[in-house]
Amino acid sequence: MKGVLIRLSQRVIWGVIMVFVTASFTFFLVRMMPGNPVDAKYNQLVMQGLTPVQAMNKVRVMYGFIPHEPLWQQYIHYLNQIAHMNLGQSISYEGVPVLHLILTAAPWTIILVLTGLVASFIVGVLAGVIAAIKRSSPVGSAISLSGSLLHGIPQFVMGLFLAYVFTTLWVLLPFGAPYNAELTPGLNGPFISSLIRHAILPVATYALSSYGGWLLTMKSSVITVLGDDFILAAEVRGLKMGTRVRYIAHNAILPLFTIFALSIGFMLGGSLFIENIFDYPGLGNLLLHAINSRDYPLMSGAFLLITVSVILSNIATDFLYSVVDPRIRR
Amino acid sequence: MALPASKLDPPVNQLVVSKSNPSFWTSSWRIIVKKPGRVIGFIIILLYIFMGLFGPMLYPKQLPIDPNAIYAPISWKYPLGTDFEGTSNLALVITGARYVLFAAFMAAIFTVVFGTVLGLVSGYFLGFSDSVIMRITDFILTIPSFPLLVVLSTVWNFGQPVAMGFVLGITGWGGLARAVRSQTLSLRERGFIEAARSLGLSPMHILMREILPNVGSYIAMNLLLTITGSIYAEVGLFFLGVVPFQVNNWGVMLNLAVFSAGAMSSAQALPYLLSPMLALLILTLGIVLFLDAVDEMFNPRLKEV
Repeated sequence: MKGVLIRLSQRVIWGVIMVFVTASFTFFLVRMMPGNPVDAKYNQLVMQGLTPVQAMNKVRVMYGFIPHEPLWQQYIHYLNQIAHMNLGQSISYEGVPVLHLILTAAPWTIILVLTGLVASFIVGVLAGVIAAIKRSSPVGSAISLSGSLLHGIPQFVMGLFLAYVFTTLWVLLPFGAPYNAELTPGLNGPFISSLIRHAILPVATYALSSYGGWLLTMKSSVITVLGDDFILAAEVRGLKMGTRVRYIAHNAILPLFTIFALSIGFMLGGSLFIENIFDYPGLGNLLLHAINSRDYPLMSGAFLLITVSVILSNIATDFLYSVVDPRIRR
Repeated sequence: MALPASKLDPPVNQLVVSKSNPSFWTSSWRIIVKKPGRVIGFIIILLYIFMGLFGPMLYPKQLPIDPNAIYAPISWKYPLGTDFEGTSNLALVITGARYVLFAAFMAAIFTVVFGTVLGLVSGYFLGFSDSVIMRITDFILTIPSFPLLVVLSTVWNFGQPVAMGFVLGITGWGGLARAVRSQTLSLRERGFIEAARSLGLSPMHILMREILPNVGSYIAMNLLLTITGSIYAEVGLFFLGVVPFQVNNWGVMLNLAVFSAGAMSSAQALPYLLSPMLALLILTLGIVLFLDAVDEMFNPRLKEV
């Protein structure tokens, strides 16, 4: 147990360093930009008739540092603001704190990707077990082929394809927007059903494009386990097919759990294309909006949140894995 | 030592210690023609290489526009229809291939060079260099690469394919480095490496001539997979419209088709959307079919079969 704690604390320290490096990266990125957006914003505010002091205060609130300080002081100011969970103010949504914007956008992405992730994981893993056990029969090779093909199609092609087929060719499902704008949000039947109907295609896009990966990984993992001595021993002892498959699946799924847990971290940044195609108000769309409207505080904030979620889930995975797999604890 | 038989070193003749007897090209050719799928994959890849090298030379620098044939349907004159200006979609796909393929090729080269060198050094020398390299690798693997590319597009000029390839390579070598390291770790304990070390061969020789050939198949497969991955990433960047359009390529076509031409709702603009997609999917198919041959070409353990 002590070993686990030491390992965990090492990971946490490493995580803090990574957050620090990422924050520094976005700081210097914005400062190094051609035309220096911070100074440009300051000059623009002065031109609009604000006094230099007012303009400086305004820029300070937006970016978290004062434009005319030496670079290292700006940097320390900025880090200090981030440590206090203050990510500055958005430029394109004037005056709205960045933290507020990203926290309203994040749930959309989480719901969208998590549903797709869980669905594709369950279906992909089951199909992978069948594909591995029946790998010499036509059923098995057909399943493997479906995995390879779907795995090879990029997410945006899949999204465009589904959108075209189900919203233009057959008008079965709505396109764009997360729910029907005429309905009032809340816990009423029509709103929830509209929410679900609008989410089907984005979720399906995510699920279909990650299904292949799960299938192929599970298949190769099962095949590796099939060669293990304990499976042969189980067969020799005359254990039933069902029991053996359970043994195999239990051992083969361990590496997949790691990947699954890690995918949860990559969730926030994993649906840029889908959100863009289906006009879904998640974090990916927010990041793209920030870049297209040159809203750098918002861009930095969104990118920071996307990265921090990966770092956190890495730490959590590492910890959980040592609980799930006793071989790691030594 | 009571190791199970499978854990013992495989016989020396299964590892590439000396040069293999028939020349590399002859044996590769034999491996390719063994299965029809591989031949198809090989032909598709050759076709795309040809398209990337000579495609832009087949057409005038300014592609002809035809105001009478805007969104023309598929015909002999326009095998893939036309775009919003009446330019042939086939011409757009062919001339757009160079940027996409060249950038992806550069990305794969950068990825493979960084990943292999760092993986080999880290796995063979261990110690301080190993922990430094692995920390950097962890970092690269943690930062979500596509959002990073999107953010970098605000400062980096992606107009040159080399610049695009460089960034894709810089953000993408982590997985390969880690895999090469773990392979090197297991190889360096093998008998033939120990023999080489006790013969007093230089670490450079051991890494390049003894270890590298045994990791070769993995690297070659990775090269091809990186090419497809990079193509998706760059086409994706252009599709999202975060990178300024300087040259025509498949991603620009997709973006214009979806967000300007309204190909999602008007059937007549559909060929404009489908042509770059078709180009992408056929290339993917070719690479997937060819991968199988590459594995056999470079994997010394499959060679005996």
